Amino acid sequence: MIEHKELAALPERFPLACQWEITCRCNLRCVMCYTDCFNRPDLIRNELSTSEILRIMDELAAAGCLDLVLTGGEPLARPDFFDIYERAKENGFLTTLFTNGTLITETVADRLAALPPHRIEISLHGLTEHTFEEITERRGSFQRCMRAIDLLVDRSLAVVLKTTAMTVNHDEILAIKRFANGLGSVQYRLGEDLRPTLDGSSAPQRLALSESARLRLMQDDPDLWAEACRQQSQDPKPCESGKRRFHIDAYGGLQLCSGNRQMSYDLRTGTFEEGFYHALPSFPCAWKIETPMSLARPRANHV
Amino acid sequence: MPWTDKIYARSPDYVSREVAGEFILVPIRRRLNEVASLYVLNETGAALWRRIDGKRSAREVIADFSEQFDVTSEQIEKDFDALVEDLLSIKAIAEASPCRND
Repeated sequence: MIEHKELAALPERFPLACQWEITCRCNLRCVMCYTDCFNRPDLIRNELSTSEILRIMDELAAAGCLDLVLTGGEPLARPDFFDIYERAKENGFLTTLFTNGTLITETVADRLAALPPHRIEISLHGLTEHTFEEITERRGSFQRCMRAIDLLVDRSLAVVLKTTAMTVNHDEILAIKRFANGLGSVQYRLGEDLRPTLDGSSAPQRLALSESARLRLMQDDPDLWAEACRQQSQDPKPCESGKRRFHIDAYGGLQLCSGNRQMSYDLRTGTFEEGFYHALPSFPCAWKIETPMSLARPRANHV
Repeated sequence: MPWTDKIYARSPDYVSREVAGEFILVPIRRRLNEVASLYVLNETGAALWRRIDGKRSAREVIADFSEQFDVTSEQIEKDFDALVEDLLSIKAIAEASPCRND
């Protein structure tokens, strides 16, 4: 028996890692959110049902998918979340949860602890109630989020805190990072850059940091600066989305990645195998360059 | 009692998966302070894992395997002994009590 942190031999195209946006519903209204425009009852009614999700998930498992990120919206806002989550665990996925944390009560934390996720990533937008709730537009969300972090840390679960750097919170980012570091086992990272909303609005961009403000932020912290330098020094690689990673939206659309939804394959009517091996390779991506596969071995888990 | 008389049961804390032709064991109840690893079994290990059922003794598992794959019990006993030791060390299996119907 061999102990591995990663799998060594994978075909060039293999559905190893899935990011699945299981809902666009959310209890918060974050000002920069790109999915919140679809957080409407008429659209939510059209999201995948429990049975559709479980069927597709079983197909992913049969195809060999190992890494599964459940995201939203807010995944815990689905009333059937634990049906989905527990099936994912039973299927042996390395299951990561992206959440705003505010729906994690003691009961929810206990259920997660009973079948621990590979990782729970919580968006901590600020370290003051004022900043946090200026972003979430929901009173009480800051205290609930902080409480959730305590509940998860108390249960020795793998927690990552992350923050999208914006004009409204950049003064607090280093304090959030220090807070995370002070919790011992909790990791911290900056979240993704702002992106247009799913209905095409560029409104979130109005919150974007200027290049100089972003640079100052990085320079003020040795870890962030080292990471920024590391990224700068690397040659840009062609996009690998669709080869070993893929995205599924709340309506069963199989896509190259969450940032590229130009084309979808409908998993409601087709099979995952057909979608991944026959449809996905034909989807356009501006970053996809035909080059030989990198020899880098993909991680099977992200510790 | 010789180890081959013992009965082993698979732990519900592990799920077996076949990923790109590899047979792996995924721990599904690991916490932060425990090692985050996957465990890859070779073809023989996978075939033996499938036979560990909490009912048959190691001797019966070995006999079943050697019959199906046309290898001697002596050959496979050594492999199974090593595998059992590995699986016990990561708590993927545990010794089970024999079921008695009498």
